[in-house]
Parts: sequence; structure tokens; C-alpha cells
Amino acid sequence: VKSLSLSGRMIVASLVLAVLVAGVFVVLIRAVSAVDDARLREAHSKDVEAATVGVEKLVIDLETGLRGLVISGNPRFLEPWAQARKELPDQLNQLDQLVKGTPEQELRARQLRRAINSYINDYSFNLINIRRQNPAAAASQDSTEEGTRLTNSIRGRFDELLTAENSRAAASAAAANTQSDRALVLGISALIACALLIISFGLYLARSTAEPIRGVATAASSVAAGDLSVRLPEQGPGEIGELTVAFNRMAAELERNQLELQAQNEQLRDSERRKSELVRIVSHELRTPLASILGLTSLLLTREIPAEDRTRYLEIISSEGRRLSSLLSDFLDVERLEDGHLPLDRELIDMGRIVAEQVRLFEGQSESHKLEMNVARSPLPVHGDPNRLAQVVSNLLSNAIKYSPEGGTVEVVAERDDGHVKVSVRDEGLGIADELHDRVFAKFFRGDAPESGIPGSGLGLTIARSVVEAHGGSMNFESGKGQGSVFWMELPVAAAGQ
Amino acid sequence: VQPGTKTILICEDDENLRLLIRAVVGPGYHLVEAEAGDEAVALAHEHHPDLIILDLMLPRMSGLDVLSSLREEAPPGNAHILVMSAWPNSEEPSRNAGADSFLPKPFDPDDLTELITSVLGAPKT
Repeated sequence: VKSLSLSGRMIVASLVLAVLVAGVFVVLIRAVSAVDDARLREAHSKDVEAATVGVEKLVIDLETGLRGLVISGNPRFLEPWAQARKELPDQLNQLDQLVKGTPEQELRARQLRRAINSYINDYSFNLINIRRQNPAAAASQDSTEEGTRLTNSIRGRFDELLTAENSRAAASAAAANTQSDRALVLGISALIACALLIISFGLYLARSTAEPIRGVATAASSVAAGDLSVRLPEQGPGEIGELTVAFNRMAAELERNQLELQAQNEQLRDSERRKSELVRIVSHELRTPLASILGLTSLLLTREIPAEDRTRYLEIISSEGRRLSSLLSDFLDVERLEDGHLPLDRELIDMGRIVAEQVRLFEGQSESHKLEMNVARSPLPVHGDPNRLAQVVSNLLSNAIKYSPEGGTVEVVAERDDGHVKVSVRDEGLGIADELHDRVFAKFFRGDAPESGIPGSGLGLTIARSVVEAHGGSMNFESGKGQGSVFWMELPVAAAGQ
Repeated sequence: VQPGTKTILICEDDENLRLLIRAVVGPGYHLVEAEAGDEAVALAHEHHPDLIILDLMLPRMSGLDVLSSLREEAPPGNAHILVMSAWPNSEEPSRNAGADSFLPKPFDPDDLTELITSVLGAPKT
């Protein structure tokens, strides 16, 4: 699952913060408007109260006027009553207007109006008429009690209306208080939540970005210091994760390149070692025949030498000269092998004849070795370079003799074998230990030869096998330490008519 | 062998070089020849040579091994040992192993003659 990218997370966190802050504002605005509403409702209640008190005053005027008339009998006392009666409708309308929208208060205002109307119309006019006809009856206890009862009832309605209005005002004030308290608590907790959110997001950023980035920086320093094996845990949100993955890829690539370079370096060093070993071998191999040539020449030039010795010296000089020449050819051949172009002639030749010639050349070179040759009677036709193939046979023969210092039989077989011409040379010499087998054809490899004092450049078999392979053939051997060796080469038989 | 004749042991596996050294040394010394290292040690014990001319690359036992073997024992060990080698940079290891003198191959016959004379004195005629 691909985790949300770091920028995505930052945007989400900012949105959450914005929503939280907006929520806090909404709550606060609603609280403020509720408090405002409560204040308005309170003011309204005050207005209702004032209007009620105004009506109440007029009702008192009505009562006072009536009572004055009844007690004094003077119609002038009725003036407040008349005045109040004139003002009442306006005042009551004002009250109706103020309580409009609150059904129970509307009902109370209506009942109040009815009670006042009833007081004026049913009681007051009645009493005024009675007073006009019978002043005593008007002042009777009954009629006074009736007035008191009616005004009490009206007063009761006033109380009811005021009480209801007061309790409504109180209730809305309490509700506003509660709401503002709640808004305060909500606002403060939301602000604390915002602060906590900001702090935790900061901590999260520090932990999830600063720390991994510091890790990358440390790892980069290690890489710069040469430690390319350093790797980061591939984790972290979005871009950080990508950064660690990319860093690891970079480090792995650098390490791979470094290893490759080291390997190449090692190869170069190896080839350098081989080159300097070659120089050592070349100089030693060239100096030994040179020592004979220069020493004998010097003797011939400066000292009196008997005639038969002189001939012997010249023969040695000549053969050592040839030895030098053949060594130089080997070095040049190896040089060409390395460049990949060893020039070869292509002729139809008889391997049997080449083997026989080489065996003849080696015969008599060593008294302690016996050469046994077994060459097929029929020709062994091969397409190839006669000189190079003769060189290969010569190399195998010379090795067989060199590596059997105690002497012995060297057996040479040349035969046809399953579409191939096979030439093998077997000796009874030192043999080759198993652990050295895979290096036998390697350049300059001479096995135990240097310690055994066996001369050579370690190039003969390298050249021989390359020559055979250049002819489409193969060369191999079997050997064991102290058990002698058999080396053979197989060349494709030349097809008739070729 | 006439009494007083100095003995020279030649340890060299190359036949032609043995012939050359023989020719340079000339008559007047008792010459003993070895083709391999172990043979050289055995002949040194047998003949107590005054001078040993030693090649470094010898069959079966290297010249350096011959040197350290000879230096361990008194009678053959007090012979003057001359190492002659075609190997580059071989003088120092030879001298460290106990060689008294060193001649690189190829060598000038007169240098060898001079060295032999200075070590053994003039040959008996």
C-alpha cells in the first residue's frame, strides 16, 4: 500500500486545523448571537413590563375615578376614569403588539383586555347608572365588593402576565448564559486541541522528516568517507521513503561499481605481476645461453684454444644461439596469442611424417631416454601449418624428456581415432600433482620445474594448445604426481579432395 | 691429486656452462662437478673444496638451500662460496644466505679467473 505522500499529509493536517479553527469560530459566533438574543429578549420583557404597568396604572385610574364618584357623588371625580378609558385601547393595543408571537402571553393579554372591558362595560357603566338613580345602592357593600373582586381579578392577571414574562426573560438569560459558558469551554478546548495538534504535527514532522533526513545525511557522509556498504531502512512517509529507496539504490550502484573497479584493478595488478614475472623469466632464460655464448667467444678471442676444443666451443655457441632464437620466437608467439592473431599456413599435410621427423630430431639427444614411436602406416591427413604443428610435437617431446630427469621410455603414438588424427606422447617422469592440473596450460606456469632445476619459460604448452585449437583441434593430458604424464592432441582429419 | 692442489666444486646444471667454467678455470686445480643441489652438498662433504662455484637454479635442491646447508657445518662450511646466477636481483639473497662473492651471468671469463686467483692463489703448475 503506497502511503500518503508527505506533502499530502501536511495538506491534510492543515485542513484538519482549518476545520477545527472554523468550528471554534462558529461555536463562538453562535454563543455571541445567543447572548445577544437573550439581551434583546430581556429588553423586550422590560417593554412588556412597562406596557403592563402602564395598563395597570390606567386600571387604577379607572378604579380611583369610580370610587371617588361613589364616595363623593361629584361627577368631577369621574374624570380620571374617563381619561383612562380613553387611553386604554392604545395601551392595550401596544401590549398586544408586544406579546405577539408568544401564544400564552397573547392569551393572557386577551383575557386581560376582556376583564378590563368587562370591568368598564359591565361594572363601571352599571355603577354609574345606579349612582345616578340610587347613590346609596351604589355605595352598598355589595357593589364595593364586586368592584374589589373585579380589580383583584384584573390585578391577578397582571401578576400572571408579568410573572410569565419575567420567567421567560430569566429562562432565556439562563439559556444564553449556559450557551456562552458551553461556548467558552468548547472554544478553549478547541484551542487547546489546536495547540496540541500543531505541537504533535511539529513533533511528527521532526520525527518523520528531520530524523530520516539526518539519517540520510549521516549515511551520505559515510559514503563520502568511502564506506559504500551503508544502507538505510527503506521506510518513512512518501517522499522520505522515496529518498531512502533512491539513496540505497545509489549506494548499491556505487558499491557495485567500486567492486567492479576493484576486480579490474586486481586483474591489472595480476597482469602486472605476470608481466614482471615474464621479465624475470625472460632475462634469466636469455642470460643462461648468453653466458655460454659470450664466455666461449671471449675465450676463443683471448686465449690459446686447441683446435678440437675450438670446434666444440663453436658448436655450443651455435646451438645456444638457436636456443636464444627459439626462446624469442616463443615470447613473440605469446605476444601474438594475446593480440589474437597467430598467422597460420594451411596445407594438406601428413601428421605421421611430421611426428616421425620430430622423433628423429630428438633421438640421440639424451642417453638416458628411450624413444618409442608408433605411427600408423596409412597417411594421417590434416589441414594445417606444418611448422606450427611440428613445433607442437617438438614441445610435447621436449617436455616428456625434460620432466623425466631420471630417464625412461617416451612413447609416441600417431593414429586415426574416430574422425580425428590423434598424437600422444607418454613419459615415465615426474608427473603433475592433481591440484596443479587446471593451471598446466596457463602462461608461465611451470609447476615444480623451477625448484627441480628444469629450464623453460612456461610458454610451450600455452602456445601448443593455442596452435592446436587454432587448427580446430584440442589438447589434453592425464597425469599424477610421480606417475608420469600422457599429453595428446586431436586434429580433425582433412576430408578427401580438400 | 697432488698434495697442496686446491679443490674447486662446480655446481651447475647447464652442461655448456660447466664446460665454459672448466675452460676458464683451466688446469692446476682439482675440479669436482655436480649437476644437482643434493649432489653438490654430498660432494662438498666428501671433497672439502676450497672454492665452491654455485648456480642458484639447481635440480632437487636450490642453490640457496645448498648455501644454508653448507654453512651449518664446519669442514665444508669454511670454503669460499661464489654464487653465479642469471636471476635478476639475486646477489643480496645469496650474500644473506652466506655467499662470499657473487658474479652475475653472463660473466667475463677474466673476472672469474681473477676471482679464483685472489681466493686460491696461483694454480699449481
